[in-house]
Amino acid sequence: MSSEDAFWKTISDKLKRQKSVVEKAHERKLQEVDGSFFERFGSILHERSESEKKRDLQNHVRATKASVRFLPRAFLHQDYEDSQPPQEADSEPEPEIELNEEEIDNQIIITNVNKEFSSSADSEQDEKDDSHYYSGMNLDELYLEVLYQIHHNVGCDVTFELGETALLSYVQDAFKMSNEKHNQLLTAAQEREPPELLLNVEVIEAKDLIAKDSNGLSDPFVTLYLQSNSSRRYNSSVKMETLNPVWEEHFALPVMNESCDDILYIEVWDFDPAETMREKFGKILKVKGLRGATRLIKEMAITATMGQHENELIGIAKIPLKTIPSSGMLMWYSLDRKYKMARQGVIKLHLSFGSEKNCQVAAQEHRHLLNLLLLHELETSQIGPYEWDGKFGSQAEAIIMQHKIQSGLCPTEIDFVQWAAYTFVQKEHPLSFGLYLKLLTKISKHLCAPSRNEESVKIFWTFTKKLLPSCIGLIRKVRKRPHDKKTAEQIADVLNILLQLMCLQQPFDSDLFPTNLYPWLISYEEEKPRSISNVLNAAVVKGGKDWLQFILERTEKQDNSVDETLVYFHKVVQIVRSDLQRAVEYDKMFQRIMNLEYAKTLYNLYQLEISNLIEDELISICKSLKTFAYDWNCLSQSDSNDHMSLGTRLFELYLALQRFVCLGTTLSGDDDFRIRNCHTWFQGGVEQWLDIAVVRAMQRIEKAVELDDLSPIDESVKYSSSALDTLTIFHQIKIFWDQLNWPDIESSYSFVAKIIDDLCRCCLFYADKMATRVDGMGDITDNYERRFEVTKEWCLAINNIDYVCQSLKPFTEELQLNSLIQQLAEIRNPLEAERCNDTLQNVLENALDTIQNKIVELLETVAMKMSPAMKKLLIEGAEILHQDSNSIHRVMRYLDNNLATLYEELNEDNFNRILDIIWGNLGNILYDLIHSNIDKRRPPAFFSNLKATLQLMVKSFKHTDETTDSEVLAKIEWLLTVNGMETNELIHQVHIERWRDQLELKSSPYGELTVRLQFLNNDLKVEIINARNLIPMDSNGFCDSFVRVCLLPEEKFTNISKPRTQTHTKNLFPLYDETFTLNLTSGQRNLPDGLVVFCVKDRDFLGMSNQFIGEAFVHLKDIPDTTANIKTLSQVHLFLSRPSNLTTDCITALENRQGDKLAKEFLKRLKQKSSGSPIS
Amino acid sequence: MSGRVNMRPTNKNALLKVVILGDGGVGKSCLMNRFVSNHFDEHSFHTIGVEFLNKDIEIDNESYTLQIWDTAGQERFKTLRTPFYRGSDICMLTYAIDDKSSFRNMNMWKNEFLYYADIKENSSFPFIVVGNKSDVSIEEREVSQLELETWCNENGIASCIETSAKNASNVQEAFKMAVQHWLRAESRADRTECTYSDTVDLSKKQSDVRNSCCAGATDD
Repeated sequence: MSSEDAFWKTISDKLKRQKSVVEKAHERKLQEVDGSFFERFGSILHERSESEKKRDLQNHVRATKASVRFLPRAFLHQDYEDSQPPQEADSEPEPEIELNEEEIDNQIIITNVNKEFSSSADSEQDEKDDSHYYSGMNLDELYLEVLYQIHHNVGCDVTFELGETALLSYVQDAFKMSNEKHNQLLTAAQEREPPELLLNVEVIEAKDLIAKDSNGLSDPFVTLYLQSNSSRRYNSSVKMETLNPVWEEHFALPVMNESCDDILYIEVWDFDPAETMREKFGKILKVKGLRGATRLIKEMAITATMGQHENELIGIAKIPLKTIPSSGMLMWYSLDRKYKMARQGVIKLHLSFGSEKNCQVAAQEHRHLLNLLLLHELETSQIGPYEWDGKFGSQAEAIIMQHKIQSGLCPTEIDFVQWAAYTFVQKEHPLSFGLYLKLLTKISKHLCAPSRNEESVKIFWTFTKKLLPSCIGLIRKVRKRPHDKKTAEQIADVLNILLQLMCLQQPFDSDLFPTNLYPWLISYEEEKPRSISNVLNAAVVKGGKDWLQFILERTEKQDNSVDETLVYFHKVVQIVRSDLQRAVEYDKMFQRIMNLEYAKTLYNLYQLEISNLIEDELISICKSLKTFAYDWNCLSQSDSNDHMSLGTRLFELYLALQRFVCLGTTLSGDDDFRIRNCHTWFQGGVEQWLDIAVVRAMQRIEKAVELDDLSPIDESVKYSSSALDTLTIFHQIKIFWDQLNWPDIESSYSFVAKIIDDLCRCCLFYADKMATRVDGMGDITDNYERRFEVTKEWCLAINNIDYVCQSLKPFTEELQLNSLIQQLAEIRNPLEAERCNDTLQNVLENALDTIQNKIVELLETVAMKMSPAMKKLLIEGAEILHQDSNSIHRVMRYLDNNLATLYEELNEDNFNRILDIIWGNLGNILYDLIHSNIDKRRPPAFFSNLKATLQLMVKSFKHTDETTDSEVLAKIEWLLTVNGMETNELIHQVHIERWRDQLELKSSPYGELTVRLQFLNNDLKVEIINARNLIPMDSNGFCDSFVRVCLLPEEKFTNISKPRTQTHTKNLFPLYDETFTLNLTSGQRNLPDGLVVFCVKDRDFLGMSNQFIGEAFVHLKDIPDTTANIKTLSQVHLFLSRPSNLTTDCITALENRQGDKLAKEFLKRLKQKSSGSPIS
Repeated sequence: MSGRVNMRPTNKNALLKVVILGDGGVGKSCLMNRFVSNHFDEHSFHTIGVEFLNKDIEIDNESYTLQIWDTAGQERFKTLRTPFYRGSDICMLTYAIDDKSSFRNMNMWKNEFLYYADIKENSSFPFIVVGNKSDVSIEEREVSQLELETWCNENGIASCIETSAKNASNVQEAFKMAVQHWLRAESRADRTECTYSDTVDLSKKQSDVRNSCCAGATDD
């Protein structure tokens, strides 16, 4: 893998480099051919989907953050306030994605559509409120009451900051009272007697009291009274033997309104009973039950404070009423004692003001007041819908507070009143859901308490019904809300509200979701009870459906063209997907709070709708793609650009769908949704695309070859731009395939096979185009000659093809065949997978072979083109009679130059290949030359010159001696040798061959000769002993034989006699027994190829024409050089032979020397010998 | 790769793309395997999509390399096989002679081929009809020779043959017939521009040179 990685890396590096250099224009030109066909489907598509993914990731991060932000809040409603989200903990800027224009367009489309949806009129008229609760309270009365309360302000907090006048003008404003009316009512209020106000004191507990009794403990009780009315004392119960008593007792002390400077005294005493312990216990035992005991102890305490007993004071706390805020307070006070510095302990009190009033009336008053002020508040403060969180302006706050106190409403009542007041306005003036949640949290406690008031429960549910439509509405119409944190918070609040409501016991008598308020519920899940969770679910579905409906209606096609349809589909899928993404953000909230699979529910809905919308049409579109036919044979620029953009749209849609499905799969797990198979809708389209891609690729290759200047891209490589361009196309196809991420294995296999086959075809096409491109290059024509020189362009062309070819295999690896095969093995079986693998490999190997052939073909073309020049130079070199080195060198120089270029430019493999080819061609040329020139009867010098050239070339060519065609070479060399020999040399060569042939004989029809031979210094001693089995030559069946001894080559031994034996008549086994001595010079004796020939002849009757029986040869080098007596040497048996093969190269060469007398003579004699005819 | 270096590739033949079509189970793969490797497997599998093999064949002293695409006959593989029709030189329509319906379906196959291969002048395209499983007994035979010939005549197809991949009868002949048929169609169509024709020419030249070379070596 790593080597392949490296390979691709270099490619991409090269691509980059190419881009970085001036080549951009080049690239543009190329892409113009087909309008960036491949980039569209490859890298551009890729980039786009990458950024989509990025955005998804971001969204995901955002969603996670969001859920983190909301969850604690959702769970810990108990201390809701404390868990305010850590504000803007995540305020670090989110990485912005760079969107290209088209994406931005898409985003804008989506946003716009959603916006439009938000602003679109609500389909149904908002729920009519028929249960009018406003029981027409007299506004004047309420106003009077408020004015009265302002006038008799209570508590410390209000009056100091807000003047009475300011408050008065505020209420006048809020109640929209005319001045006249205001003054009239104000006077009336002032005339009313002051209210009776009560100070409510709850004595809760004390701590760290000092011990008063001997046992180290005290028996504390509390006495409380107002300074202005000290005779009216209130006592708590006595807590026995403790320093940390807990009382939790309530007291209401009437307060005179005019005595604002009054002080509340809290005294803690140690109870000291007068009775003895026994008495005390006796009394206690008589009392029945705990309550009795308490009363008894209380009685005792009262008497104690009246001074009848010696009770001991523990400490006093003095609280001026001014310090008590009207809203009440809970406080620890320290207990002091005169003259004592040390603290006597602390006591916890709850202090508040109240009044005596009819509770129902007060609650109703309060509700109306709240409503009035709330509306006024909303009006004046310009708070947007869903934002008001319960905080009034300070004036309103003061007035409400006053009313609360002066009407004597308890907190529980106030909660209910608020719930009623706030939910009442929800329809017209939606308030923050957080506010409701906060209230509901408080109220649900009351509702669960055993002491709850059935009346208020009923009211609670009545008003809850007013809130619910808004809650459900938010869920249903969440898409109309801005996609921001606030909306998410609202959803969380709503879900929590619903959760709390669900936890409460719902009233049986009232329908929470009446059909008149929820008309859309009718069509949904009729059979299911309208429980909160079911309605929520229905709201989610309905919301999704309505929205989708709107999107589909809104996102209109401009016309019904295929193109427009695809754009439309794409847009819809994009929008739906972005909505689903938003749903994913909310999903966790829904799941954790309401246990509802929000996003999955929506996905299920969307996928079905999308499937219904797209599937059939898409399949037919893919089918129709076929109709734009293109001509395979005519690859010229066709006008199918339209169709191409169609293709682009098709795959954009495909990718959008894939992303949608991908998103959905994470939600739905393994559930088998229909859209899962959406890729099959595109099957036909992919096929068509692949077909078109081949045509496009070829077009582009053609252009690339045309644009190629046939110079290396840079110094480090030996290929030129078109090779890279071609690979770029492949690369883009690969990216496209990666993009498709085709889910079905079997069809993947088929597609991959198709891609490989197609790419191979493109490779071949490239090779052809490249060959055509360089054809004609390197032909040099000048005044003297036409010849071909190998050019760099040729080499580059070959390298280009080779480079592309070599890239094929790694490229197919990139298609991930292995994993494909593995998956096939899993879903089918290993055997079939193996066969598929074989097929893929076969296709690939086949292509590689074919391209290799192409390369070899091209190499051969180069070699062929070199042939004429080489032939010509060879002839010229050979013809020059006086061979000078120059002529040979001209051939060598030509070869040298061209081979140098080839060596320089080609890679090693191809260089070796072409070397082989050139060498083979050279052989052929020489062969042709020899034959044609033998026919032309060239002089031997011609051939020997050629031979010299050949030997030179062999030396330079064959650095290794292992050659494939050495036989041919040897043959050529031999022919050249033979034809280059002088005639007498040739004749001797014939004799030498005869001698060699004789050595091979195992028997002879002509008989055998027995001789002994010996060198004694330079004297050759020849003893001819006998002959055996001579062939009968005469009609009587016998021979009259004799033997003549000659030395060859004849011209070297002209001074030597040729002795002969006696003739032995009528004898086939003659005993000659004669010895001759021939005196040779040392030069003769040491001739390298000297031969002794014994010629056995049949003496003719007349002695005129002796018949040739046979001859035998002995090489001089085989004759022992010894001083021993010749009789002691071993006998040599020689088979007699006649020349049989008259077609050897030497003889042919001799025959070709027609004008040569010597040759003619020799041949004549040879033929006579051969036929055994008489020799003259 | 390196093993190949210096070796001069031998197959410099004309390349012919042959597509074998026909119903599932008529023995397309068997035909191919018999032809290419002379091997018959009684229990062969369904072909997934396509399979591919090469085979050199010699006709009239001329060598051809057949690139045989064996396709899956099952309907569910239709989308997997059709992409390979384009660029075919020869289409071999097959049926089993013991299966009438496979014979009837040949119309469908022919049309599918013409459609996906984008053949315009369909009359001149070299189809060859092969009735496989000629080894079955006479009782089992459902398609007669006459029916075959009639169908071919009606459809303007000149070549048809009955084969048996099982006992290797007529398999070689079928492919040879296919190539010969192609040759005839080729000469009729008289296509001037064809990428393969170059290859043929060059190989011819090459072999001419070789021949003279060899002759020279032995005759002298």
